[in-house]
Amino acid sequence: MSHRVGIDIGGTFTDFALLDVSSDRIATHKRLTTPAAPASGVLEGLSDLLVQEQVPVEKVEAVIHGTTLITNAIIERKGARVGMITTAGFSDVLEMGNEHRYEMFDLRIAYPAPLVERSCRVEVKERIRYDGHVETALAQPEVKLAVRHLVEEKGIESLAVCFLHSYANPDHERAVRDIVRADYPELYVSISSEVFPDIREFSRWTTTCINAYTQPLLDRYLRDLEQGLFARQVRAPLFIMTSSGGTATPAVARSFPVRIMESGPAAGVLMSARHGEMLSIKNLLSFDMGGTTAKGALIIDGAANKRYELEVGRVHDFKPGSGLVAKIPAIDMIEIGYGGGSTSAIDARGLLAVGPDSAGAQPGPACYQQGGKRATLTDANLVLGYLDAASFLGGKFDLSLPDAEAAITKGVSEKLDLPLVRSAWGIHDVVNEGIARAFRIHASERGFDYRNSAIVAFGGSGPIHAVAVARKLRAPQVIFPVGAGVMSAFGLLASPLTFEVLQGQQVFLKQLTLETFVEVFDRLMSESSQALVGAGVASCDIEYRLRLDMRYSGQGHAIEVALPEHGSLVEVFPTIEERFAERYAGLYAAVDLETPVEITTWKVGAVGPLPFFPEGYKTWRSSGDMSQSRVTRSVYFNEHEDYIPCRVINRMSLRSGDRFEGPLIIEERESTVVIGPEWNVVVDKTLSLIATLSGI
Amino acid sequence: MTHTRQAPPLVTHDAISVSIMWDRLVSIADEIVSTLMRTSFSTIVAESYDLTVAILDANGQLLCQGTKSLPVFMGTAPVTLQHFLTRYPPETLKPGDVLISNDPWIGTGHLFDINVMRPVFVEQEIVGYTMSITHLPDIGGLGFGASATEIYHEGLRIPIVKLFDGGVRNELVVEFIANNVRTPDQVLGDLFANVTCNEVGERMLLEFMQEYKLSSLEALSYSIRHYSERAMRSAIRIMEDGVYAHSIQIEGIDAPLTLSCVVKVSGDAVAISFDGTDPCVRQGINVPFCYTNAMVLYAIKCLTVPALPNNAGTLAPVAVSAPPGCLLAAEHPSPTGARHVIGHFVAPLIFGALADAAPALVQADSGMADLVTFQGRHPNGRAVAALYFASGGFGALENHDGLAVTPGPSNMAVVPTELWEALTGTMIEYKRLVPDSGGPGTARGGLGQELAIRNDTGSLMTVFFMGNRTEFPPAGLVGGEPGQLRRHQVNGETVHPKGQYHLSPGDRITLVEAGGGGFGKPGERSRALIRHDIAEGYVTPAGAARDYGFDGE
Repeated sequence: MSHRVGIDIGGTFTDFALLDVSSDRIATHKRLTTPAAPASGVLEGLSDLLVQEQVPVEKVEAVIHGTTLITNAIIERKGARVGMITTAGFSDVLEMGNEHRYEMFDLRIAYPAPLVERSCRVEVKERIRYDGHVETALAQPEVKLAVRHLVEEKGIESLAVCFLHSYANPDHERAVRDIVRADYPELYVSISSEVFPDIREFSRWTTTCINAYTQPLLDRYLRDLEQGLFARQVRAPLFIMTSSGGTATPAVARSFPVRIMESGPAAGVLMSARHGEMLSIKNLLSFDMGGTTAKGALIIDGAANKRYELEVGRVHDFKPGSGLVAKIPAIDMIEIGYGGGSTSAIDARGLLAVGPDSAGAQPGPACYQQGGKRATLTDANLVLGYLDAASFLGGKFDLSLPDAEAAITKGVSEKLDLPLVRSAWGIHDVVNEGIARAFRIHASERGFDYRNSAIVAFGGSGPIHAVAVARKLRAPQVIFPVGAGVMSAFGLLASPLTFEVLQGQQVFLKQLTLETFVEVFDRLMSESSQALVGAGVASCDIEYRLRLDMRYSGQGHAIEVALPEHGSLVEVFPTIEERFAERYAGLYAAVDLETPVEITTWKVGAVGPLPFFPEGYKTWRSSGDMSQSRVTRSVYFNEHEDYIPCRVINRMSLRSGDRFEGPLIIEERESTVVIGPEWNVVVDKTLSLIATLSGI
Repeated sequence: MTHTRQAPPLVTHDAISVSIMWDRLVSIADEIVSTLMRTSFSTIVAESYDLTVAILDANGQLLCQGTKSLPVFMGTAPVTLQHFLTRYPPETLKPGDVLISNDPWIGTGHLFDINVMRPVFVEQEIVGYTMSITHLPDIGGLGFGASATEIYHEGLRIPIVKLFDGGVRNELVVEFIANNVRTPDQVLGDLFANVTCNEVGERMLLEFMQEYKLSSLEALSYSIRHYSERAMRSAIRIMEDGVYAHSIQIEGIDAPLTLSCVVKVSGDAVAISFDGTDPCVRQGINVPFCYTNAMVLYAIKCLTVPALPNNAGTLAPVAVSAPPGCLLAAEHPSPTGARHVIGHFVAPLIFGALADAAPALVQADSGMADLVTFQGRHPNGRAVAALYFASGGFGALENHDGLAVTPGPSNMAVVPTELWEALTGTMIEYKRLVPDSGGPGTARGGLGQELAIRNDTGSLMTVFFMGNRTEFPPAGLVGGEPGQLRRHQVNGETVHPKGQYHLSPGDRITLVEAGGGGFGKPGERSRALIRHDIAEGYVTPAGAARDYGFDGE
């Protein structure tokens, strides 16, 4: 009987999931995150869970870990002091950016300050041309002086090496790294040709600087964690979740900390895909909503949609474009500024608006009685009867209905001259509409038809809103997996070892030979597999995902074209143009142009075997009395424009095959499922709830 | 608006319903935009948002506009629609009709922009209209530029015409267009992308009305306008009443030109006239009134309710007029192809005028974007025709330093150095911020930049400059000083900012981009900020002494 543990550190809570691979139960545990010493909370929680479940430590065969450490370090600017060595004439690139405004009407927009201050960016003489030829040799003595200056006088702990066109020829950047290793072996070094070897200096260098900025703290954190695990007799290997939904070894994470940003939410999306697979549903919207934000993603044809871009640390009203953009393989998520703590206000129009401000955990919603006075979404959901004052978080935490009512009355009802319930519904429904809107735009920009797809809902608040959001999107089905509050920790358990590499290399399709095609992909496949082979995966168990970024010559942006997972490169080669045309027609209009097609970027992902994960699972132990209660409470449904008596069911009492008609409330310890009238619910064999709009 | 209103319908939706349905309408407009972007070929649509989408009610009132569209499209759609409906009255329209025109005077100011309209029917009744506008890849004539002396040089002028009549395509119109443009497949591709997106718009609008059980959009439209107009008017009230005159000189093609305005703020309304502005010139930089009007609405919206969605209500409190035949109200047959060259100055002209009325809101002048066209041959043998954008500094606002190298009011993005070099075979030798270039002020103007591009192609190249701010610097406001002037050089010699030059192999051009204007008296700038500016090298110690009287203490 061996066990695998998933541990996900979030902003407020650290979640644990322990899978006994011989049963269908996943034990879970939740504790407060310990920001000052993050490793200690992880280690203590793990010990507590093992004791609670009576699992001997030697039975643990793998520990898989996701963390917000990197993202938080960027948002809170708590990373290392970083120096930068760059091509003469270009040290201002980091703060010149794209010379573009992300918002037309707001004259006071802001951009994040570069992670490397101007006085810590040193230029050295060197120049490589776009075709990789050396125009000016690297001035090695200048490099030595620059590094010495940065270390001795500026006190840097980490160095980013960023030269123009290094994706085409990495020699100069590598030479700088060699010098640093000889002169200052303790100094952390990130070189742009390794972190993200693709064209466009601003984004490559920004990504490299994020890597350099977070490398020392991740290294220290992993050292604490590894030592702590060792001291607790845990001999199982440790894996770190990445933004792309695959795991990596600690060695890879140490080299590329930028790749583990937002790894918790990525794991949640991965779990959505897994649920789709169990139910044989190929196209899904993954909807995760917690205390401060909601996150959405698309599952297309069974796989989480990905992109090579992730934005963090937005500095201006959470506006897209106001953060730092990292170019890393990542699940393509939208962040939507609504969570349980989102506060409501009357906006410039004189109308009701909710978010993106949040009451957070402190002071929290008014009903928490911790001093919060502004009406939040959670207050509205309590007034509407979706949440229960007594059973919130398994009854551990009493909510105050009078405080919620008072906050909404004062903040909304009195100002708009509307009844309390209308105001509460307004807060609730403004959020539903906002989430639906974000999904519509995200999906339609990617050529994905959200109508008639299913939604997987999780997170503390997701299951309250999912059915109403589905209604607005005309999505006829919503899936509520077990354990909505710890979905990311489950996702860690279901994630394979993965490593992705890319190479910017521009070539016209007409001029591409089979030899070059095979040579480039062979090299990238061998590079990407090293990280897996190093972790003990047999070569024959590795699968490769090959993709090309392609475009009509002259277009600014390329589209990603996936090559088939099976079939030899020789067979694939003649089909590339056709695949491009097909993808282009799917995303844009079908066109037949004379313009030549070109490849800009080559990508390979090496994926290890999928770990065992049970088809159906539950988080609770079976116990004797599991009869379904006949409790009802008064709940507001807009279809009735009133409160109506609504049945409330304990999720632990449900058995596969049970069927219900809405309206209905189903309570689990950390989340509440709200099923509107006109919806039916079936308990699937995996114990997921499947809600379907009647008459479809 | 030529339609006379009957008694306004009562507000039948409460504030909650209005906010939810309003958000949905904006979401529909945004989704039409994303359909348009996905189905159009030209990169100018997909990457620069040189497009807009509008939803209008049965009376032709603007309900909402796509969130991401350029300022030039502010409020043009309802005017264009009125022209369309005058030519084809509503009672003559039927389901499946699609009307188009690119007439600069009824559309958006130059022939490149195609306006496409579709009436939305519930049974046989028109409940609203959807419109889309995009910048076409080509429209025949001389091509995109300022070199025309009459509109006839600038290409095909499409009158108001039914491209589809009851769903049936007018092949003659399609052929006319195909025969008059350089890249017919791309132009027609984009034209039909507009048709498709309006079809999608109609479908979504009808679904929306069904979901909310609306038989007409009028009551909702009234509410949206009511709330918007109220918000706009109360924001205008913040400005001090008065009559504010302002005049600026800008660089024309060969002589300075004067733009003048008088802004009258009274209570909750603003009236702007452009009396005193120079007459049109025989170059393609004249601005039709629709464009001027849009830039005024843009400027006023920036100052009042930047976050509010555009609709008839936000436009109502602003009245704009200009003497016919002046630069800002060009008449047929004045050429208008590069109308932005003059038109972009409308926003800073208005900001300058309102500096006394609303000092806390206005922005000092920006350095604006610079645009250079390169023609020649890549070392790999291909022909090169590429546009390089480089921005000056953004103007400062009260308590808000201007951003470095940020365009305004246009919004083109820079081409990354690595892409540029691969695309053209030239080499960008350096590209850096220019210390002391931001106009001194309590809030400092944004820094400009300097860059040099060397002809490394091995062949002769030709460059076409289209620069401004080389004689008249970006002005400061409320005591702030101007930013540094723009300068163009060839091999170290300063040259004409709107000239055409040949570059032999090894020759280089140097662009020094203007800094943004400062805001407030430099002497009142915080010493801590000056010290920070010196530490980061944005201001030199000598500059700090000269401009701020700062001696290091």
